[in-house]
Amino acid sequence: MSAGAYPMPGESLDRVTPVAPKGPYVGRLAGNVVTYIILIGFLLMFLIPFIWIWSSAFKTSREISQNPFALPTELRWENLVQAWTVGRFSEYMLNSVIYCAAIVAGSVALACLAGYGLALVPLPGRDGLMVLFLLGLMVPFQSVMIPIYYLLRDTHLLESYWAFIVPGIAIRLPFGIFIMRGFFRGLPPELGDAARVDGANEWGVFRNIFLPLSVPGLATLIVFQFMWAWNEFAMPLIFVQRDQLRPVSLGTMFFFGRFTSDRGLIAAGVTLSMIPVVLLYLLLQRRFIEGITAGALKS
Amino acid sequence: MTGTALDAPLVVTSSSPAHRYWRRYRAGIVFVLPALILYLAFMVYPFFRSIYFSFTNWNGVTAVKEWIGFGNYRELLGDDLLWLSLRHNLIWVIIGTIAPIAIGMWLAILLWRRPKGFTLFRTIFFMPQVLSTVIIGIIWNWIYNPVFGILNKALDAVGLEDISRGWLGDPDIALYAVLVAAIWATIGFVFVIFLAGLQNVSKDLLEAATIDGANAWQRFWNVTVPQMANVINVVVALLLIGGFNVFDVVFVMTQGGPANATEVIATYTYKEAFTQNHVGYASTLALVMTAISLIASVAFIRLRERGDA
Repeated sequence: MSAGAYPMPGESLDRVTPVAPKGPYVGRLAGNVVTYIILIGFLLMFLIPFIWIWSSAFKTSREISQNPFALPTELRWENLVQAWTVGRFSEYMLNSVIYCAAIVAGSVALACLAGYGLALVPLPGRDGLMVLFLLGLMVPFQSVMIPIYYLLRDTHLLESYWAFIVPGIAIRLPFGIFIMRGFFRGLPPELGDAARVDGANEWGVFRNIFLPLSVPGLATLIVFQFMWAWNEFAMPLIFVQRDQLRPVSLGTMFFFGRFTSDRGLIAAGVTLSMIPVVLLYLLLQRRFIEGITAGALKS
Repeated sequence: MTGTALDAPLVVTSSSPAHRYWRRYRAGIVFVLPALILYLAFMVYPFFRSIYFSFTNWNGVTAVKEWIGFGNYRELLGDDLLWLSLRHNLIWVIIGTIAPIAIGMWLAILLWRRPKGFTLFRTIFFMPQVLSTVIIGIIWNWIYNPVFGILNKALDAVGLEDISRGWLGDPDIALYAVLVAAIWATIGFVFVIFLAGLQNVSKDLLEAATIDGANAWQRFWNVTVPQMANVINVVVALLLIGGFNVFDVVFVMTQGGPANATEVIATYTYKEAFTQNHVGYASTLALVMTAISLIASVAFIRLRERGDA
């Protein structure tokens, strides 16, 4: 790697430049060019597969095999329409919306309450409870999946939306409680005292003082839980038995198996199932990235 | 443990100890209880149930679950498929940890100074992270397709027809092919974490090293890496645990095939539990996974505490 390819950090370039005159100006310029060549190389590596799939959604199967890199000769919307109707993506999408709404609402609400309770309300055995919840972050899904399956079967939930919603909320609680408890611990507990002196009860203190302050933490958590619920694969694979109840992640896989030879249709289905998350990501990308970073570095 | 006569005089109000306890902690209990009930029913109880299942040879159907003691655990030792799966997990963990860290670090350093186009690069590098593994798996299934996949087409175009093949159908290659797809999807995550970590690296120290004549590699290895130690630890731990538990991408792309060439412990456990209905033995396999995860987590926490001290 050339010297310039490893740039000196620091926004204050005027301060850095006189101290670090690495070679002549031409050398640094060449370094910059090399940097950009590498970056653009990686950019293409990440972008080409997506562009290929998206453009294939407008092609026929024959066009896809003949020249994968060519852009579609005409915009054929049939594939997308077919995937939406015959491929049942309309149903899968609706199911995913139902699952996401229920799992996000349930896990965020319960985690917010419990996180607040474990952070700011007196409770005997608080630390023990926290350890119990944190253990849930360390054990893999496999350690609970088999008994949950039989629990759902015996309670006759296997044939309903609850089969993914209830265990989905439960398995996301440890993470949610961890994030919300951390958030509430960062707030000064004295904030509640003034309200208590004025005669507010504990619920009032939470509802009127701390809940409004927790909105940034809640927003991060909502993004996380939404992404998990939308993309989760293993849990619906095992617990959701009927095709009419499948979320879009699982539905896409069965769709792929069902229409293997119709490549344009497959590409259309994959494109459809990407649209909601990709749009949301492009709109909220800073929140996504900051949330992921905070989540990983805190845990 | 009801209120005794001795306690009674100490109580000024008429309420019983249980009542006082309730009044004092009512708020805390009400806040935590809903989450706790759900967690106990759908996490804690199933976990202990797994342990119980692992001592039976239950097939999921019969009413009686026959207790066989450590029978399943003894079976683990002689189970060739388990050891093959674990070997694949080991390969996965080694390559799947080193490669994303190396590439992610490289990209983070190239973008450290936030050059023009920073947001575009970051947005695209991170994009696979927001997609479902099913989509990643299908896209890479297409890339590797022997007939119309872009990998073979690209190799043909540059005159390397000899290398092109059905990547996922070749037992010697399939595991690595799936691994490449997983690495591709993971780089963005590692990159973003390292980018955040680099914000805390002292620029003064780097300047000082430059003045002392350190070259780019020396500055990286001796100044940047030590300051990033904690962040690197976190990423290593997450990738290690993720690698031992990997399921989705393998299941979507190859389902463990061809001929178990990509079988990992999670896909093996899934098949034993839900296609073979060996519920007892599958529970034992699940607990092996749990043990590996817990050992990795605890080792990581210890390491971190030592680093912080």
